[in-house]
Amino acid sequence: MIPEIGHFALALALCIALVQSVLPMLGAARGNALWMRSARSSAIAQLVFIGIAFAALMHAFVVSDFTVANVVENSHSLKPMLFKVAGTWGSHEGSLLLWVLILAAFGAGVALFGSNIPDALKARTLSVQAWISTGFLSFLLLTSNPFERVFPPPQDGNDLNPLLQDVGLAMHPPLLYFGYVGFSIVFSFAVAALIEGRVDAAWARWVRPWTLAAWMSLTAGIALGSWWAYYELGWGGWWFWDPVENVSFMPWLLGTALLHSAIVTEKRDAFKSWTILLAILTFSLSLLGTFIVRSGLLTSVHAFAVDPERGLYILGLLGVSIGGSLTLYAWRAPAMEGGGLFAPVSREAGLLINNLLLATATGTVLFGTLYPLFMEALSGDKVSVGPPFFNATFVPTMLPLVVMMGIGPFLSWKRADLKGVFQRLRFVAVLAGLAGLATWYVARGGPVLAYLSVAIAVWLLVATLREWAVRIRLFDVPMAETIRRARNLPRAAHGMTLAHAGLAIAMFGFVGSSAWKSEEIVFVQPGFVIEIAGFDVRFDGVERVGGPNYMADRGTLAVSREGEFVTTLYPERRSYPVAQSTTTESAIRSTLAGDLYASLAEPASETAADQGAWTLRILYEPLVNFIWIGAVMLVLGGGLSLSDRRLRVGAPRRASRSEPVATPAE
Amino acid sequence: MLWGILALLSVSAIAMLLLPMLRHDAAGTDRQAGAVAVLADQLHEVDRDADRGLISNDEAEAAKIEIKRRLLKLNRGASAKGRSVMGGRAALWISALVVPLFAGLLYAQLGSPGVPTVPFADRQDERAEQAQITELTGRLLERLENDPEGGPTEGWMLLGQTYMRMGRYSAAAAAMGNVIERDDTVSAMVSQYAEALIAADDGIVTPQARNAIRRALEMDSTNPAASYYEAIALDQAGDSEEAHDLLVSRLEQAAGPAPWMEIFIAQANRIAETIGREPVSLAAFAPMIRGAPGPTRDDVEAASELSEADRAAFIRSMVDRLANRLAEDSDDLDGWLRLGNAYGVLGEIEKAREAYEAANELAADLPSDDPRKQSIREALSELGG
Repeated sequence: MIPEIGHFALALALCIALVQSVLPMLGAARGNALWMRSARSSAIAQLVFIGIAFAALMHAFVVSDFTVANVVENSHSLKPMLFKVAGTWGSHEGSLLLWVLILAAFGAGVALFGSNIPDALKARTLSVQAWISTGFLSFLLLTSNPFERVFPPPQDGNDLNPLLQDVGLAMHPPLLYFGYVGFSIVFSFAVAALIEGRVDAAWARWVRPWTLAAWMSLTAGIALGSWWAYYELGWGGWWFWDPVENVSFMPWLLGTALLHSAIVTEKRDAFKSWTILLAILTFSLSLLGTFIVRSGLLTSVHAFAVDPERGLYILGLLGVSIGGSLTLYAWRAPAMEGGGLFAPVSREAGLLINNLLLATATGTVLFGTLYPLFMEALSGDKVSVGPPFFNATFVPTMLPLVVMMGIGPFLSWKRADLKGVFQRLRFVAVLAGLAGLATWYVARGGPVLAYLSVAIAVWLLVATLREWAVRIRLFDVPMAETIRRARNLPRAAHGMTLAHAGLAIAMFGFVGSSAWKSEEIVFVQPGFVIEIAGFDVRFDGVERVGGPNYMADRGTLAVSREGEFVTTLYPERRSYPVAQSTTTESAIRSTLAGDLYASLAEPASETAADQGAWTLRILYEPLVNFIWIGAVMLVLGGGLSLSDRRLRVGAPRRASRSEPVATPAE
Repeated sequence: MLWGILALLSVSAIAMLLLPMLRHDAAGTDRQAGAVAVLADQLHEVDRDADRGLISNDEAEAAKIEIKRRLLKLNRGASAKGRSVMGGRAALWISALVVPLFAGLLYAQLGSPGVPTVPFADRQDERAEQAQITELTGRLLERLENDPEGGPTEGWMLLGQTYMRMGRYSAAAAAMGNVIERDDTVSAMVSQYAEALIAADDGIVTPQARNAIRRALEMDSTNPAASYYEAIALDQAGDSEEAHDLLVSRLEQAAGPAPWMEIFIAQANRIAETIGREPVSLAAFAPMIRGAPGPTRDDVEAASELSEADRAAFIRSMVDRLANRLAEDSDDLDGWLRLGNAYGVLGEIEKAREAYEAANELAADLPSDDPRKQSIREALSELGG
């Protein structure tokens, strides 16, 4: 009965979305306040009913109700409770339900917390949001219904892919979707602004918190996904330029550009058309990602052609929303009046370059992701575009961007004094150069690009800190004055410092773990000692252990350095009898300096396993943890900025501490 | 209960959609006022920053001039828009009422209101029963394995069939594989073995399965299961035309209606669709089915609601009814054929043979190429009569 309640609630949500698609939009066109206001209650109603549907599905997973086909396919009674819950969004159907839930949550968020947004804009935005939910709710109900039933129920479920049985991954889709789908509301704001024909500073300010929230969760989602790949897949890499990763990374790149471009729109009334375009493109990339992942296009173009119903439906949605919004953009954007002028050397110009570089990088990733699909569709050949392509194209685009990031915050709005900026940064440049040389002296190996990257990362870190120091006049004035200034500095400014520094920190991790990684793949027998990066790793054999729904071979590795015991590592190889598959559980000794990473591969051979001989993979990845630290800083920086009171403007009586507007930083 | 809750959901949806009508004030946030507020706030910020010494007075002045300019422009552009209207209540009412109606229609199409919620924890009895079967099969396996003569062929086949029903296809294939090379195997056993192999490989006909199919066909070229899987193998190998030909020719050879024909036809039509051939129907191959007084619609519905044991009893009663009718009117050849077939299914060999023999007497007058004659011959030879 409970799944049927969820099913009906989902049908209700679709019908409510249909009403919300039309009524508020008409209301805004005719100035009917009642119709406009209906957007608020219908957006909340949508969230309530999709929430009921989601809860019903989750209930079916929690109690293992195998009358629900989706539960049969994606769960098992023996699965640990956490993964039963996570199974709700583990499947195609469930993840789309989560998708629309988040879509509705953002709509309801605007309805509930957007009291400062003008009625007409809010009504139009929520109507556009409802167009998207109508598309996806109908997709869900007609082609991917999560509430399909089987009766009589089968004995037990078919388990979830054991690879996906991981806490990091359980949390990964919700966060990633939060970011992906979060950009929908920014898209809706942009389309609404186009329909309304007005984009101004106020618009940018109303939209900013939503952009930030979406950006933060996408950042967290990507970082979490890469962390999961790192410790679960057993390869020791944290990014594979896999299409699934790329489709989440592209909206992030463009979303980052949007975030910065929106600041210019807000503060300088410029870049309006560009900001709107970025908002449309960012969400279009999210949709494209959903399409690529959900249509089965990735597994094989052939598989897509055999069962094209789902894929074609999303493709249709994709065409209508991207094509429609871009047409609208082409029609309405030229009518938008330009805003503040700026000199070639100015904060605006800096942000423009940053935007262009980010857009180029996005284009590069897009090309690398789609090219193999097109090739396969056209000629039937499987080509793979791997890390070499991205390292050769993406990295060179990003390095100048990072250099610019160091300079940008020193530039003042409208026109800047380049000479003055260089004077301030001279010392930073020297420091960065020295850091590059010092790295070369210590490491003595690895590609030149690595030293350059280290130097650039140091440049960004020091320049960012220096900009912050200049603002609070650290050491320039008495400490008390500095502290007072730091307190007075708007939180958004602290957020920028934290996020930019976070990227620099993460860069150390990117470079360290790719350029100076050591790796040993060896065939070992008990007692064998492997030397790697100064560690002695002794293999003490493998024993069989049982888990809740798996059996594991657990290796024991004693790690020592210069004769002194460091730690014991227990890498495992788990086999899941129900799902009939195996996974590797790596064992990692994590320190700030680097990770010692061990994973147990197959037994060397059937007979060799009897003698305890195994293939072992040991890696040392220097500085890899800086990646996650940097990612956390990026998210916290976004959070600081989001908590900035200025974002709640529109209620002007509220006192707010603030950043200089239309003035240089210092 | 379910309908009550769905009604409650509908009512709350209506209530939520009507909610905007409760607020009577027409005052909302106006775009113009909002933008002015934002700019005014920007002005305050500049003042505050200048006060705190974050920016110099000159810079503050320049910034303020810019913002004021924008404010002026905003005010100039302000159109004398009238107050917004509050009418259009009817549209709200209509949409509020249409929502549950449409949702109901949609749900009627997609939902399965009759299917109950069955949490795993509530299925102890079912599992106990299953555990018993597992235990019995375990014991059977043990006995067969410990048999110094390797265990009787029937025993292994029974074990394999039980595994098949439990969905343990690999185990089934392994059990049957133990005896499949023996001398006392018959074609049907080999084709069952092939079926287990195919099921274990998610429906893919592996070379090993293909060999078993060939052997089954060598032993008995009329074995329907073997022909069916041969067609599947051909289709998977890309020879869809050949697969279709095989299915259809086998159907044509059939003597009278047989239970396997329906899946042959379904498979033939599935292949026909991909290779662009006309679909075939059961009536074309089994003309006798037409006009025969089969079970009524009520009978079928009654049967589908019965439990396994009840269903067997129900089939029994159907068969008895047919037998009684034939005892009174013994001239119905098709009736005797169906009775013979039914007894065969129920495993009552003696009665089946009697029915076929009665049919054989009636068939004596038929022309020699009538397919019914052949099917009677086949049935009698199978039944050892």
